Amino acid sequence: MTDAFTREIIRNKLLALTNEMGVVLARTSMSPIVYEVLDFACGICDATGRVIAQDNGLCLFTGTFRPQVESILEKYPTATMRPGDVYMTNSPYGGGTHNADVALIQPIFAEDRVLAFGISVTHWTEVGGKVLGSLAPDSTEIYQEGLQFPRLRLYREGEINEAIVDIIRANVRLPTMSIGDLNAGVAAVRIAEQRLSDVVARYGLAAVEETFEAILDHGESLALAALARIPAGVYEADDVIDGDGVSEAPIPIQVKVTVAPDRFVADFTGCSPQTLGPINCARGALLSACKTVFKAITAPQQPSNEGLFRPFELLAPEGTVFTAVRPAPTGWYYEASAYATELVWKALARVLPERLSAGSYVSLCAYYIGGRRPDGEYWVLATPQDGGWGACADRDGENSLIATTDGDTYNYPAEVVETAFPLTMLRNAFNVEAGGGAGRHRGGFGTVREYRIENPTGGSLLASLGRSVHAPWGIGGGRAGTVNYFEVVRSNGEVIRGGRVTSLPLDRGDIVRIVTGNGGGWGDPRERHGNVVRRDVADGFVSPQAAKEDYGREVAG
Amino acid sequence: VNAPALRVAVDIGGTFTDLVVFDETAGTTFETKASTTPADFAQGVLETIRAGNVAPEAIGYLVHGTTVVINAITQRAGVTTALVTTMGFRDALAIGRGNRPDMYNLKFHKPEPFVPRRLRFEVRERVAADGTVGMPIHLCDLDVVAQACRDQGVEAVAICFLHSYAHPEHERQAAEYLGRLLPGVTISTSSEITKEWREYERSSTVVLNAYVQPILDRYLAKLEEDLRALRVPGRLFAMLSNGGTAAFESARRQPIQLVESGPAGGIIGAALVGEQIGEPNVISLDVGGTTAKCSLIEGGDVKIAGDYRLAWTPLSPGYPVRVPVVDIVEIGAGGGSVAWFDEGGALRVGPRSAGAEPGPACYGRGGTEPTVTDAMLIAGVLDPASFLGGRLVVEVALARTAYEPVAERLGVSVEAAAAGVIRLVNEATIDALKLVSVRRGYDPRDFSLVAFGGGGPMHAAALASELGVKRVVIPPFPGTFSAWGMLMTRPRVDLTRTRVTRLDTAHPGEIDEVFCELENEARGRLIEQGFASEQIAGHRRSLDMRYHGQEHTVRVPLPPGERVAQPTLEAAFHTLHRRSYTFALVDTPVEIVNFRTISTVEMPRPTMRRVRLGGNDATGGAESRRRRVDFGDGVRRETAILSRSSLPVGFAAVGPAIVEEASATTVVLPGQRLKVDRFGNLVISPGGAV
Repeated sequence: MTDAFTREIIRNKLLALTNEMGVVLARTSMSPIVYEVLDFACGICDATGRVIAQDNGLCLFTGTFRPQVESILEKYPTATMRPGDVYMTNSPYGGGTHNADVALIQPIFAEDRVLAFGISVTHWTEVGGKVLGSLAPDSTEIYQEGLQFPRLRLYREGEINEAIVDIIRANVRLPTMSIGDLNAGVAAVRIAEQRLSDVVARYGLAAVEETFEAILDHGESLALAALARIPAGVYEADDVIDGDGVSEAPIPIQVKVTVAPDRFVADFTGCSPQTLGPINCARGALLSACKTVFKAITAPQQPSNEGLFRPFELLAPEGTVFTAVRPAPTGWYYEASAYATELVWKALARVLPERLSAGSYVSLCAYYIGGRRPDGEYWVLATPQDGGWGACADRDGENSLIATTDGDTYNYPAEVVETAFPLTMLRNAFNVEAGGGAGRHRGGFGTVREYRIENPTGGSLLASLGRSVHAPWGIGGGRAGTVNYFEVVRSNGEVIRGGRVTSLPLDRGDIVRIVTGNGGGWGDPRERHGNVVRRDVADGFVSPQAAKEDYGREVAG
Repeated sequence: VNAPALRVAVDIGGTFTDLVVFDETAGTTFETKASTTPADFAQGVLETIRAGNVAPEAIGYLVHGTTVVINAITQRAGVTTALVTTMGFRDALAIGRGNRPDMYNLKFHKPEPFVPRRLRFEVRERVAADGTVGMPIHLCDLDVVAQACRDQGVEAVAICFLHSYAHPEHERQAAEYLGRLLPGVTISTSSEITKEWREYERSSTVVLNAYVQPILDRYLAKLEEDLRALRVPGRLFAMLSNGGTAAFESARRQPIQLVESGPAGGIIGAALVGEQIGEPNVISLDVGGTTAKCSLIEGGDVKIAGDYRLAWTPLSPGYPVRVPVVDIVEIGAGGGSVAWFDEGGALRVGPRSAGAEPGPACYGRGGTEPTVTDAMLIAGVLDPASFLGGRLVVEVALARTAYEPVAERLGVSVEAAAAGVIRLVNEATIDALKLVSVRRGYDPRDFSLVAFGGGGPMHAAALASELGVKRVVIPPFPGTFSAWGMLMTRPRVDLTRTRVTRLDTAHPGEIDEVFCELENEARGRLIEQGFASEQIAGHRRSLDMRYHGQEHTVRVPLPPGERVAQPTLEAAFHTLHRRSYTFALVDTPVEIVNFRTISTVEMPRPTMRRVRLGGNDATGGAESRRRRVDFGDGVRRETAILSRSSLPVGFAAVGPAIVEEASATTVVLPGQRLKVDRFGNLVISPGGAV
């Protein structure tokens, strides 16, 4: 039996290893969505697919590794695998998210058998399909969302299958970037193999395998200790997703969360069926969504591993907006995923004020502004936008912060946008005009970003902004926040406003304004301290009129 | 009258202010220390001069490392500061990059900006990415700003406009205009501090500069006055974060350049130790009470980080500061680091530290938690009788009591628990050392490890054998090594300019032109500090390059002062890219993002004579004592205890051995070979291990 010190040392080495994978991936990728948005994840799973250590740039991948590795094992039993192999999958229905997120999985051998898998998932800027960027907000089938890699063996004993590379090259609009992403993903799993082999060489296979088990058991005990502190009970919440990209018909969703000292069950029975448009997510993404909240309320600062999630159970029938099946499109899956996270959060917010806030702007509010330059070269700014978070029991909501689905995700600086794309950014400001979110503690402000199109041949806008009808919720007398929306202001003064749009043509001089909502408030606004309201007025966060109407305070402007 | 012959370095630390003096005439070095005086740091500095019996009128050169800047920021004790931005970007400072590194914390809170919204103002003006003016600056907008600043008692104003790195003129005009309207208020522009792109990072930098400027200004003015009152005739320099120095006058204008003033000294010192012993590749390790700091020196060059963040942690984005800062990886593993069990029952060490108060349990000042120092005492590495040269009385019994719960919970002996904690700390430090080496594509076998600080010499031998470095070097006076390093630094100006340039379409000469502009600017700044043009030793050049479409860059060093053919440049980039990232994309266009220059002033460095710490008799320095020591494997070995001051040059021994001196304890593991070289360094050849 390996001693506690050695296990702790090995555990740290595994964490360092996944962290290094992430560093290598982020820094080698040629895709802005990876290197600026950190839309990737890396990790190590054991030979059966259980997550041992994970480094993710965002929350969306919290639960996808295991089903992805399992799907590969189903097709390629470990006995058929060889050192140097790399497997590839992007199937949403096989544990993944959407076609643009490509998983690369490398078996890592020790003493002639598979000890573990290195896995990297990278969001490629392009996998082909109906539109530039591969994520058409109005797609109705997965076939419109670009290349599917149905559990391929990309490398055999270190030799790449050139045919696959040729197919990619021929089917994507930005082959240099996509191949760059492929290389980055491979570099990450190669590092995992090297480093894990070093650890095995140093401490022995038995010690490493014992540590795997110890990590999982430790994760479980952390989760159980935290669960014991949550009042046992059944907590329910419902909400409405406002449209699927194809239709604006409301999509009702609901959850029943059962908390017991040793288990945590999220039951999504009764949610709307899968939709025609691409905001559906499949089961792997739903797992991520739920595990995100589960981790947030149990062990937010601890590294992720399968053990932590042992007490977690998911109940959800097939074919719903959260458990879509082929051929449902899932391009904008993170919209459903974001709602699923927030639904569980909403159910628990009142009993866990030390961990959870009021409702936030929820939607990733992703958009693409792009086109072709006069010389024919494609350009595209693809980015999510940060927004307002809900107020907390003990302080105001955070301003301009990236959505729950993401994480250490950076917004684009104006100076980088203007250098890389034919755009001028006119504004990057808090959404103070919208007001909303009044409370003893105020909801945080969203962001207003304005871009003027400078490309002589114009371009187009793709946007998928959720929460554009139903505003973020307040708690305990706190008011609702405000909705997300985009506006296009034409040179002639015409204004188009909406939430989701596909390929809206833009002319040079048009202004695209993306406005993210303000979070919900916490507690009765009349209980807000007068000095704090006065400071808000001085800062321009609250107008003198709102100070009077919402907070009952007379403050001179 | 002889020219003033003393060169002096003063380093203010948390507990002590260290003074190191080099006498150019005698070729000797000595050190002294006094308590740090937080209420008025200058008092501590003057006290060291008195305590060391240093003749003030003999001080010809003084270099000063200070934590005044970083303390003012972390304690939020700066002045009321305003920010002026381009129209539409008032909130950019508070928005930051919108990231949530503490991803699963659904109540994440960003670091509070240093300028509240009511003091952030907008001006109509526009510069495009290529530096052309889209809208001239409306200076009249500043009238309202000035009024608001007066009304709200603003003492410093920061200005950051979009693309000012490409066209600083608007910022200059605004500064001049506001300067006239606001006499007595200090004004900082982002472009005078850095000409790198990314408006949030530049805003954050200039705001922090403005926030501390009056504080550092007053501090250095007072210190200079006090020193002159003592009749110190010499020139006064401040230690910069880039490992160089600047004259006080210059430092007062850009205080943010002093943000990591302290740690830089040690790393420069490590590079010089390398130079002394003919080793251009050095990994430096500085272990103190709370943290271990690692850095890498390649080919004699100290690495500079381009993305320093103040108060950064893995869970907090911190505050970006875009000035050159010596590249340091810091981990929470020092002598005071506490061993504890997390909620899931796993043993952890650090990052929390028992600090100086109450300190480790063995200090007997009320600390009850088991620390690394306590473990070292239990293992016998540290001796209660000679702890800190006898300056502090410690009790092994208290250390053992602190370790009993750990031992009990793990079902092992107190000795095994202590040895295990030492292993954990060593491994954490090894991971940090790998972060600066292996993970950046370097092989530790090409490097020597220079260890200092109170704890560095104690851990170095164990780390060295696992890392496989060539040798470990413990310089003389490891406890005041940072100050010694400062003594060796030179005046220096680092400049950076963002100018995205495709290599395949750049016209010949274009690259050289940008470098020449930067070098002229640097020369101007050094001449302003009173140096003659011919003293400026040379300019080192480098480029941050990337593949078109990538974001992150690789730094490519260039030979000084000469044009480099584009194909050569491209080939160098491919090679470096491959080393860092395992592949190169030879068919993809390559572009330059940043141009960087480092300009230094040639000054004679103190030439260290061969020291005669313990005489030159290689047979002397016999072991004074022996004790039984556990080096981490649970075996107590009879170990020679050597007193460093009695070890002559040329002394050699085979481990296990422990070398004691007032400020540090050096461990030599069984089988490792120890030698005292002609500079008084302890040189350990690894290989032996337990």
